[in-house]
Amino acid sequence: MVRFIVNGMSADIDVPNDKPLLWALRDELGLLGPKYGCGVAQCGACRVLIDGVSTPSCVTPCADAEGTSIVTVEGLAGPDGALSIVQQAWIDEQVPQCGFCQPGFLVAATALLERVPEPTDADIDASITNICRCGTYPRIRRAIHRAAASRARS
Amino acid sequence: MPRLLSRRTFLLTGAAIGGTALVAAVGGVGYLATVDVEGLLGFVDGDHAALNAFVTIGEDGRVVVNVPRTEMGQGIHTGLAMVVAEELDIPFDDRISVVFPTEPLPAYANWFNVLGVRPEYASGPAVWLGRRILGQLGFISTGASGSTMAMWHPMRVAGAAARQMLLAAGAARMGVPADQLTTVEGFVRHEASGRAFSYGELAREAAVLPPPQNPSFKPESEWRLIGRSQPRVDLPAKVRGEPVFGIDVTLPNMLHAAIVHAPVFGAMVAGIRNLAMVRAEPGVLDVVVINDRQVAVVASTWWQADFATRQLDIEWTPTDADDVDSAVMTGRLEAGLAGEAPHTYLDEGDVEAVFAGGAGPVVEAQYAAPFLAHACMEPMNATVLIRSDGTAEAWVPTQSPIAVRQGVQRGAGWADVQVGSVTCNVTMNGGAFGRRSDQDVVAQAAFLAARHRGRPIKVIWSREEDIGRGLFRSQAAAQLRIALGRDGQPLAYDALVAAQSAMQSIASRNLPFTPSPDGDMLTAEGLDKGHYTIPSRRLRSKNVPSHMPIGFWRSNGFSFNTFFTESFVDECAHATGTDPLAYRRALLRDSPRHLAVLNRVAEMAAWDTPMPPVRGRGVAIEDCYRSVVAQVVEVSVVADGELRVDRVFCAIDVGMVINPDAVIAQMEGGIIFGLTTALMSSITLEAGAVQESNFHDFPMLRIADSPEIIVDIIRSDEPPGGAGEPGIVPVAAALANAIYDATGRRLRSLPLAITQTTGERRTRRVLPAA
Ligand code: FES
Ligand code: FES
Repeated sequence: MVRFIVNGMSADIDVPNDKPLLWALRDELGLLGPKYGCGVAQCGACRVLIDGVSTPSCVTPCADAEGTSIVTVEGLAGPDGALSIVQQAWIDEQVPQCGFCQPGFLVAATALLERVPEPTDADIDASITNICRCGTYPRIRRAIHRAAASRARS
Repeated sequence: MPRLLSRRTFLLTGAAIGGTALVAAVGGVGYLATVDVEGLLGFVDGDHAALNAFVTIGEDGRVVVNVPRTEMGQGIHTGLAMVVAEELDIPFDDRISVVFPTEPLPAYANWFNVLGVRPEYASGPAVWLGRRILGQLGFISTGASGSTMAMWHPMRVAGAAARQMLLAAGAARMGVPADQLTTVEGFVRHEASGRAFSYGELAREAAVLPPPQNPSFKPESEWRLIGRSQPRVDLPAKVRGEPVFGIDVTLPNMLHAAIVHAPVFGAMVAGIRNLAMVRAEPGVLDVVVINDRQVAVVASTWWQADFATRQLDIEWTPTDADDVDSAVMTGRLEAGLAGEAPHTYLDEGDVEAVFAGGAGPVVEAQYAAPFLAHACMEPMNATVLIRSDGTAEAWVPTQSPIAVRQGVQRGAGWADVQVGSVTCNVTMNGGAFGRRSDQDVVAQAAFLAARHRGRPIKVIWSREEDIGRGLFRSQAAAQLRIALGRDGQPLAYDALVAAQSAMQSIASRNLPFTPSPDGDMLTAEGLDKGHYTIPSRRLRSKNVPSHMPIGFWRSNGFSFNTFFTESFVDECAHATGTDPLAYRRALLRDSPRHLAVLNRVAEMAAWDTPMPPVRGRGVAIEDCYRSVVAQVVEVSVVADGELRVDRVFCAIDVGMVINPDAVIAQMEGGIIFGLTTALMSSITLEAGAVQESNFHDFPMLRIADSPEIIVDIIRSDEPPGGAGEPGIVPVAAALANAIYDATGRRLRSLPLAITQTTGERRTRRVLPAA
């Protein structure tokens, strides 16, 4: 039995301790936003926030998430459904192509902006290590800068 | 007289050749003319009115646009919905939604890709017949950068016809002639009386009217949408993590399967040494050999299935390819270039005579490119349900519903189960790049579904199976030579490429017949250089088969041939001491469209300003998918050979543009995809088996390595061209040419750089030792 909070709701799930958090979120909780892309912490499609830290959930055993607060891409919008500043910047810059990698990028960018409110290009290069096969990187960079600017204004 | 057609009747009439005659009878026109109104018959279904095969309007005024092409990130659902909205005269907002239709109506067939005839210019009995056949087959596919070219005109007709039917319905309601009515923002209005009805109010009456034969189009001068960037219809859901990709399909009672393929293609399963142990793994319900060649584990969850497959100890049969490693393949390709009897595509002027004549210097070089995997971000998957009554349903992120239907039949056949009708649901798709045109994954799912009738089975390949055990772009090599005239310009061009025929390999897996590899355009495209003025040209290919299964791969032959040829043109420029841009300008003297694109990219990159030391720039241009694209790449190569790509400029003439921002996104993404290929992608063989398995050894460019990209779309009077593939085509050559400019080193083999890992996911790229 593992307990944690996901997107503000408490979850109590009966899974083997070594089941990766990614598959627990998808199989047990029906949260399909986090994606399987590699299973070996290479691509970042599965990233979720665990206590605010962007973490590849494919290599995080459920047991390690016990007692934490988890946010998936589904939890980035406000309780009223309003897009987060980062999501809105993603729309404004028309970032996604196929969109499969984007949940992981949105999570990673959200964590970066919490830590570094006005990231430089070098900060982005150092902390955004996800893979996008469609090649949306130029727009992701622009969207992060845009989100930083809107946060500064709000 | 309006006739109310039930949905069923519509589908039958729409699907039968006789239906065309019915439409013709209603419209009172000749048989052949009905080619242009295919799919335009409407019907009413509850509170929804289908005005034709592409446009459905609800009572609430919401418009559903049927786009029978797969959205795989290229933005096609937005572009084609824009065309409909333009002609229908409705605002482009969230009242429009787009779906991929499940019914394979003839109007959705991709006859453009097969016949190569643009719908707006199609006429005559041969095209009519081709359309009928492909329509009956339900030949729906997405690929070859062709969706805008194939669909923009039919969907324009559909939008215009629907608008005209709404006008007619409004005229009947108001008792005024239709020509006194106008449409504005989703309403039919009578200016004189100020009366207006919304499309939602009129749709049911409009849907049963006879469709107009030649609906008049909105004049281009009144376009509000086409040519102006519109936000993508699929992005709001995508930033919320909401879309259901194939891998996310969830159905009641569903089972999950993981697959293990042979390390060496062609090997068969001789035995499973630990079958009992794997069967006893938690959650495992079935361990089974598929078609002698793969082992599947079916379990309650995919995590359990995947875990169990990794425990399998399988004995494989030996194959002829067990001693084939990359060096052997390279040797075979070189032997192919040196060997007898290549296939000749083109022999123009007397090439041999020019070379034999010894008039001027000859430039000669040999180039090479490796096997490549697709590595779509969404791993391969398919979900299939076979019911006890023999009907089947599939949910697949496919590029080709017809391949899904055939794959279901084939896979069920391996389990000796006959399948009747197959419903294909095309899901959201996490990147495709040609990989998702094949039947392979769906056939596996169907085989398992036939064993577990009544329960949907979702097959997901692990990333390791995807990269190392799937389909590939062929390894390739080329021998190129050019005889130069006194002015340094080519007199004769002789190109010979050796590669494995993609068409033959694809057909061997998917079609009942296998074409000759000779004449496979997927091998030769990009060799042509028809836009360059060269008096004598010869283009040849040599098919070099291997045990590796080859698939469509984003830009196919262009992905290697344009690297070969556009690098080689640079070599000729340098051999004559000419600036590579000036050299190409002279070669393009008879091709004004291409010259304009080249000039634009040169201007964007300020080609005439000198580069500082250690930096270099290179240019390349190609004519592909009825578009013309040129790129300039700027690099820095510092002391220890470390390479950085700083900026890429891209000019494209894509003909008439529907959604400019989507074209820009395709160029950006194509350039990143092409840079990954050029800098770091290589699939290698050892003892017949692919060595790469995941992103640690088949790496991708990441944001830190991603250059600044500047794209410009050239205004063009040409009809629409393709955008999904052109972006990747010139990059590798422009990059190699830039490296030459910076270092004086000509790199003729892909990938160009060696990737060194320097820490957690930090890498550097260095040039190979000289
Ligand atoms: S799936 Fe977790 S990092 Fe790729
Ligand atoms: S948008 Fe397709 S992989 Fe990133």
